[in-house]
Amino acid sequence: MSFREALESEKFVVTAEVGPPKGTDIDEMIHHIELLKGKVDAVNFTDNQSAVMRMNSLAGCKIALEHGVEPILQMTCRDRNRIGLQSDLLGAYALGVKNVLCMTGDHVSAGDHKGAKSVYDLESVQLLRVVDALNNGKDMSGNDLKGSTDFFQGAVVTPEANPLEPQLIKFEKKVKAGARFFQTQAIYDIEKFREFMNHARKFPVKILAGLVVLKSAGMAKFLNNFVPGIVVPEELIEELKAAGKEKALDTGLDICARHIKQLKEEGICDGVHIMAIGMEDRVPEILERAGLL
Amino acid sequence: MIITKKKDFKELMGNIRNYRSFFLIGCSECASLCGTGNEEAIRDMTEALKAEGKEVTGGFVPKTGCQVLGTKKELKAFKDELGRTDCILVMSCGAGTQTAVELFEDKAVYPANDSLFLGNMTRFQMFDERCSLCGQCILDKTGGICPVTTCPKGLLNGPCGGMQDGHCEVSPDIPCAWVRIYERMKKLDKLQELCETVVEAKDWSQGQKPRALSTREKKEKTRS
Repeated sequence: MSFREALESEKFVVTAEVGPPKGTDIDEMIHHIELLKGKVDAVNFTDNQSAVMRMNSLAGCKIALEHGVEPILQMTCRDRNRIGLQSDLLGAYALGVKNVLCMTGDHVSAGDHKGAKSVYDLESVQLLRVVDALNNGKDMSGNDLKGSTDFFQGAVVTPEANPLEPQLIKFEKKVKAGARFFQTQAIYDIEKFREFMNHARKFPVKILAGLVVLKSAGMAKFLNNFVPGIVVPEELIEELKAAGKEKALDTGLDICARHIKQLKEEGICDGVHIMAIGMEDRVPEILERAGLL
Repeated sequence: MIITKKKDFKELMGNIRNYRSFFLIGCSECASLCGTGNEEAIRDMTEALKAEGKEVTGGFVPKTGCQVLGTKKELKAFKDELGRTDCILVMSCGAGTQTAVELFEDKAVYPANDSLFLGNMTRFQMFDERCSLCGQCILDKTGGICPVTTCPKGLLNGPCGGMQDGHCEVSPDIPCAWVRIYERMKKLDKLQELCETVVEAKDWSQGQKPRALSTREKKEKTRS
């Protein structure tokens, strides 16, 4: 069953994330792809995440397809203008990529090429419209395509943005622009996420809750202080502290599994998106603990 | 106005090392407000150049340095001084420098300033960039606050995920343009409009360089 069919069939969907390597050695990426094979519905390949230059997302997607894993192409507007974006989308579709996640992209100032010129010829809402046009056989200028795409297009949303209202307005614009699914920024407070879902449920889109595994109390504090839109509640930080240094990671995996279980059992959202960030090999274990394997 | 900043003096001296006598041209508009091209700046530059052993034949602050014919007329009074000059140092923006290039075909013309951006003076000697001269103003759709300029990504339809507590991911010193737009539209009771307007991708061909504009023909027609 494809990612799209899984979401449309009301199955509780699981996606994970793999970052392509900085360099041409793809052994580790293939190892992660193999580990996730058969255990998740699709794998996102990041697009120069945090503006750090790496192998492109499309190559990751193609390699995943060769290994029998369905990819989600992450596409940011930071590095390509409208010609480059459309051209890469056509190429991706021809190579068998069916899912695309449209994002604005972290600013170059966050990355390792700070002197680069940011593009942002389009932004996420406009990119979603472009995908919709390509799906309907037209390019952005209205020219006919010889063979259209049939992408299942998604977007991102930050349920814990502060202030939240401007983010919700943009969420609504993304829905109108054709987003069919959303993968959220990491969430840790299930009750607050439930409130967001009460709003999101008014729209005909599927929502996957973003989850980032907490490795330590220090990491949780770092996320709170330095990563926009992520709020780790104090009680989780206490739980990690109480576990002690040796058991902190194990507790982090437990918290993640517990959240997945609750989100599924209470039908809060349509699935989860696990961003393991360097711990891709632990994803199967999280899914086991959550009772999904 | 065009915001300018004095070039590093050492760098400037390096650029003009081969010249001996200078005439200084300021500007009474933007460069005066920036303190880079007013009478005082010209006096300071004259002293600094003299201290470096250079000769200064004269200096002048034209009314509008980017107005070619007006500046030409004003500079007629300095024919002798200009005749004894081998380098003209322009203390306004890049447009002012190029006025001098147009007026003095056979003389070296050097900029004394760096031209930075189009901005507003918020307090004395404090300037903020407010307009990118993109050629397609969307202030009518954004409560009068320009996201093309004041959002580092130039986003047209709302904040990105990097916004934190109303500030930008690029720097906590930058307020999020889209939070500002949201707050203003809320005050004006126009949130509905903000939700419903999807701003189209910009037509950057409108900003294709070099731009030129002539409204002469139209006016002549109206007169006849």
